[in-house]
Amino acid sequence: MKIKDKFIELKKQGKKALIVYLTAGFPDMKFTEDFIVEIEKSGVDIIEIGIPFSDPIADGPILQYTSQISLEHGTNLKDIFSLCERLKTKISIPYILMGYYNPIYQSGLDNFAQNCSLAGVSGVIVADLPLEEEGPLKKSLKNYGIDLVSFLTFTTSERRKEKILKSSSGFIYYISLAGVTGPRETLPDRLKNDLKKIKEDSVTPIAVGFGISNVSQIKEIKDYADGIIIGSFVMKQIIDNKIEELKNILVSFREALNG
Amino acid sequence: MKLPNKKGKFGIFGGKFAPETLMEPLAQLEKTYKEIVKSKTFQQELNIYLKVYAGRPTPLYFAKNFSERIGVKIYLKREDMAFTGAHKINNTIGQVLLAKYMGKTRVIAETGAGQHGVATSTAAALFGLKCDVYMGEIDIKRQALNVYRMKLLGANVKAVSSGTKTLKDAMNEAMRDWIATFENTHYVIGSVAGPHPYPMIVRDFQVIIGKETKKQILKIEKKLPDYLVACVGGGSNSIGLFYPFENDKNVKFIGVEGGGKGLDTDLHSATLCKGSPGILHGSLSYVLQNHDGQIHPTHSVSAGLDYPGVGPEHSFYKETGRAQYFEATDQDVLKAFHFLSETEGIIPALESSHAVAWVINNKEIFKPADIIIINLSGRGDKDVQEVANIEEGNL
Repeated sequence: MKIKDKFIELKKQGKKALIVYLTAGFPDMKFTEDFIVEIEKSGVDIIEIGIPFSDPIADGPILQYTSQISLEHGTNLKDIFSLCERLKTKISIPYILMGYYNPIYQSGLDNFAQNCSLAGVSGVIVADLPLEEEGPLKKSLKNYGIDLVSFLTFTTSERRKEKILKSSSGFIYYISLAGVTGPRETLPDRLKNDLKKIKEDSVTPIAVGFGISNVSQIKEIKDYADGIIIGSFVMKQIIDNKIEELKNILVSFREALNG
Repeated sequence: MKLPNKKGKFGIFGGKFAPETLMEPLAQLEKTYKEIVKSKTFQQELNIYLKVYAGRPTPLYFAKNFSERIGVKIYLKREDMAFTGAHKINNTIGQVLLAKYMGKTRVIAETGAGQHGVATSTAAALFGLKCDVYMGEIDIKRQALNVYRMKLLGANVKAVSSGTKTLKDAMNEAMRDWIATFENTHYVIGSVAGPHPYPMIVRDFQVIIGKETKKQILKIEKKLPDYLVACVGGGSNSIGLFYPFENDKNVKFIGVEGGGKGLDTDLHSATLCKGSPGILHGSLSYVLQNHDGQIHPTHSVSAGLDYPGVGPEHSFYKETGRAQYFEATDQDVLKAFHFLSETEGIIPALESSHAVAWVINNKEIFKPADIIIINLSGRGDKDVQEVANIEEGNL
């Protein structure tokens, strides 16, 4: 399913998107696969499948840990594409790949885009690939109709913001705070206003990520965005083996996003 | 054309592969750098500190005994005589002064051998800024003396226990800090690595090495040298030496990387000799990596070279053939460490010993009239205990 169509569908239902990030291969690939299938039922709208990288400079301790363990188990892009291949018939929500540029660059950009297409991947997010450097990958992905999701945050200058809004496809990943990934109790005060302004300028849906870990945060921002992204919080529950609790929490997040 | 270009590229290398949050701080840094650092006021202030505080110019010393043993003329650029014991101070005085001009109240740094950490702590103490230094747990153990020096200088040394626990992960941690703190904090990168404009800024603050060298050798020898030899980890001392000679085509540039236990093993840090282009720490450059694009752990007897990346300008020099890159193994480096100590009375840093080792190992390629300049980028005091540990089991 196309990311765009998912957001259109949600809009019709008056809902906001619940986007969940999972580090592929933590604690193992079978878990990642089974868990994705299960949380589709909890009402998750889009899955971000994390490609582990040895040097995740934008990630806090939780995702550093899950990436490291996954890499120790030997997870690579080939495994991730076969997971995606299997998901094609197992789930109907869009799934996208998220990672750092080097593993993608090493696999060859066209080759990567083709593999994404074959495995039914709807979009790609690259943490260290800003507008200035995204050209080659964007071109390859475009050939296969795959979205390259761009980031925006409060430090982004007006001039770059305009260009990014034009360039991003699928959705805009809005980084809520200054810092690395990881659960926070509260979100910055300025966030609502920042989002309000971005929403006025953007035709592309805005999803907010970084720091989100509870219902009250979600309620606070949901009217100013088209979706939220939860990563570290989810992985922390998985590290702690609180799988049943996590599923219930995701249901409560889903409800908070409904209306 | 002067490099890097507007996009921060040296040929295909370099660029700004940074998280979105850092794009504006990087743009601000570039803008301020261009406005302030090129200004007369800043340059005058910087030059005074480099002269009366850091002790520049450093001597260009004709190493007579060493020369006789090899059969060519060998000069040592004595960066080991710069204040704090290495060339790192050139960059940190520049960057910390820049941070002060930018109104920042805190600086952070990554360090491997601890030399850049010490130099940053020193400049922070001098200019009254708070300072946190990230250092891998393994390096903290093997460079205990420098850790204590940083503490004496009022800096806070933060142990990094993630990943390889060495320089690479210290840099990851410093970047993570900066993503959250850029509003009041300047990240003082210690090498010609990282996203644009860092490779340019650090080079510009280090070219004083090459500028002085050129003036000094022309005065002494009335001609340019045949070889410039320097160790390469991230590559700041070597770029600093090479850059002012870039258009002097008869001057050969030799960069010497950490050969560790040998290039036929995985235990080395010879990024340009054995790596391939990839993206690490914000720029496209040579990196040591596996087929999946995961960065390799490295090994070198010298903590300062123990890094799987290298500055993008070096990758460009490699591709264009302007510089040649070789390696020296731990074993040869330890021999060179003793050799220079005994023949010249100069204890070199293990990093700089790589350059010395390459000259010793390659004496048959030189002609008797050749002039070789080795950048003695740092002094070896910090390594004495580590060498003793290696050679005697323990001190």
